[in-house]
Amino acid sequence: MTAAGSTEGIGSYILFTVAGTTYALPSGEVRHMEMIENITRVPNAPAFIDGVVFSRGQVVPVVNLRARFGFERAAFDLRTRLIVVQSAGRLVGLLTDAAREFVSIPPDAIQPPNDALTGMSGRYIEGIASIKDRLILVLSLERILNFDEALTVGLADRV
Amino acid sequence: VTQDAFPDFLDDYFAECDEHLTRVRRLLLALEASVGRLEINRAVLDELFRHFHSLKGISGMVELRQAEDLAHRLEDYLRVLRAGDAILSADGMDALFDGTQLLEQVIAVRRTGGTFPAVESVGERIGRLVNAAAPAAASDSRLAPAVPRSFANVARWRCTFTPAAALVARGIRVDTVRGRLAAAGEILDAVPRVTGDGSIAFDFVLAAPLDEATIAAWRADGITAERLADDVASTPAVQPVDPVDDDVTLSGTTALSHFVRVDLARLDDLMRNVGDLVISRARLADTLSRLEARIPAADWRAIQENAVAIDRQLRTLREGIMRVRLVPVGEIFRRMPFVVRDLARETGKRVRLELQGQSTEIDKFLIERMMDPVLHLVRNAVSHGIETADERVAAGKRPEGTIVLCAATAGDIVRIDIADDGRGVDPEAVIARARAVGLAVPAGTPDAAALLALLCAPGFSTRDESDRASGRGVGMSVVQAAVEELSGRLRLETERGTGTRFVLELPVTLAITDALIAKVGSETFAVPQGSVREVIDVAVADLIQVERNEMTPYRGAALPVLRLSRLLGLPDTSRPRLHLFVVGTGPAAIGIAVDRIAGQREIVVRAIADALVRVDGISGATDLGDGHVVLILDPAALARQMRERPDRAMTAAQGANA
Repeated sequence: MTAAGSTEGIGSYILFTVAGTTYALPSGEVRHMEMIENITRVPNAPAFIDGVVFSRGQVVPVVNLRARFGFERAAFDLRTRLIVVQSAGRLVGLLTDAAREFVSIPPDAIQPPNDALTGMSGRYIEGIASIKDRLILVLSLERILNFDEALTVGLADRV
Repeated sequence: VTQDAFPDFLDDYFAECDEHLTRVRRLLLALEASVGRLEINRAVLDELFRHFHSLKGISGMVELRQAEDLAHRLEDYLRVLRAGDAILSADGMDALFDGTQLLEQVIAVRRTGGTFPAVESVGERIGRLVNAAAPAAASDSRLAPAVPRSFANVARWRCTFTPAAALVARGIRVDTVRGRLAAAGEILDAVPRVTGDGSIAFDFVLAAPLDEATIAAWRADGITAERLADDVASTPAVQPVDPVDDDVTLSGTTALSHFVRVDLARLDDLMRNVGDLVISRARLADTLSRLEARIPAADWRAIQENAVAIDRQLRTLREGIMRVRLVPVGEIFRRMPFVVRDLARETGKRVRLELQGQSTEIDKFLIERMMDPVLHLVRNAVSHGIETADERVAAGKRPEGTIVLCAATAGDIVRIDIADDGRGVDPEAVIARARAVGLAVPAGTPDAAALLALLCAPGFSTRDESDRASGRGVGMSVVQAAVEELSGRLRLETERGTGTRFVLELPVTLAITDALIAKVGSETFAVPQGSVREVIDVAVADLIQVERNEMTPYRGAALPVLRLSRLLGLPDTSRPRLHLFVVGTGPAAIGIAVDRIAGQREIVVRAIADALVRVDGISGATDLGDGHVVLILDPAALARQMRERPDRAMTAAQGANA
């Protein structure tokens, strides 16, 4: 986290990858990152929830972003990271394939999402940034954690 | 007020409102004795006035205009009463009650969100009362504003405190300042205000004999004191209060100064720390026991002695923190006179409420969750239990009915009784109602337990429809569910013509508990030991298949079996025998089947807070020492699910939602 250093604040993002795509979240929303060890399954939780873990003494749900974005789940490896985020008083873990970079993205480098972006993650995107030939999808934490919508997605999938 | 400071400030606002409103409720009840009388209880009136005045001030500061306006109206009417321009009428009393209730609602909506109730009609009603009294004001000077009496010879000071980060770091906050002022004398008024540069300052008017040394000491801690001229009595808000009758003075401002208001979240943090210690201790004990064989006996004894001492100290520490979380059950009781009074008036009955054991202490967490069930039972006692005055006289009883609300502790259990001397539960009416709504009714005369089971069956509720329509009722089924969720028990005692008694039994605290640890496949679960009646062993081959349910004979009845493996989507055990945790009683009992019992442990209960993983049937999580989450089952909820839809407990719930 100290890598954020002076760039912390507006424009500082943490980058992570899920199924080959690079995503960004404002580093201000990230509490800390952890290696993943053992997740306890919770019966009857939404399909994109892998279960719960303890993070600094608190029970934190693990949102599998692969599942959330409609990809196949993957086995954990040494690069797998749990990003514990804080949003509206909630503490939630996001399971990602890898996460290690902090970058500064100037606000004017972020464009609104293209309508042609139709992947499952499209509905959780706040904007698209392009930095040094790389395309980065900036996520909306609020939309990822929206539970009501999660149920509707589940319904649609089932039908 | 900066953006960051505002939420904290709002918390302070709500806490302060709670204090004022709690006091206002009791004062209103005390004031009621003055209805229609020329001599009004001035002390009560004065204090009420000051509370509304403060509520107005602080509501204005958080820009809660509806609350500010209501408090202002109420203050206006009290001013008219103080000036002797009007006699407190029954209408006026009702307006005060209704206005206060509305004020509470407005503040509650600001706190939890939702739609603000309309305040205009009550506002106008109070306005009319004020206006009606106005013409008399000029001519009548009989009851001129009272001259301060008890503090007439004591100097008055305006003390100002401006909170600052540097002061907070030294532990000096508005609460502590208030305590110091109260210790020095009498706080006549306390109003926060926003200063020119946007920060918050608190103005106190203090009646106290202050010397230079005190003033200097205070100044060093950010409190300024400025002597006020002696004619401040013309400002209504600073009029001192006479000693009132015992009931009302009990928790006055001076009494409050000995208490520190603590955010529950901070206590939770402390409790978590202690929980970590308990877990570390368990881990250490595990490691040590593995080493025992390699340690010389004398050294081992020394280690053991230390371990025992740590155990004892840890338990003391834990109990100490739990005690801090305890609050007097009186918090629930305080609202009840209000409720009874309102409902008695509505139903035209005469009811006396007796409160006992208000100082009995119970966990804050439980208090919050017990409020609605107790409220419901008290309301039931008034509307269903107590007869009308005529009926009572005809039955040879006193015209006035009595409801006794009593709390007491016995060991780790808190018992709350709600008893009335009314007509008692009529078993025939209950059976008729149960049949009418399609419930299964046992043959023969039902005993109290069977009656309670019917009353609490979902879909029962004889006259609850009207309650629900007015948006405030919870059925008996909800009462029972709430009690069970807190690992408590609900009992009924009733006798026709003599009365009814509901007994709630609850654990005093919840955070640490004894549990049985069970294994299902590779998964581990904790089951609160208090809810397990018995552990029995059954052969899988002996289970009886009844449609989609498995049953086993148990004490002359069939016990439904819930296999945890199925609930988790795991394969059934290949073992020939199952262990069953028998939970619940009578027809509500079920057996929870597990593969293996790994032992009995003291566990620390962690809340599962996030909606994404909050599941009916799981009451929390714990850590057995390896850092992994172990889910704690909620046997009462599981039994309820089985009862309500036997073929689809928990596993199928998701499909039903989607």
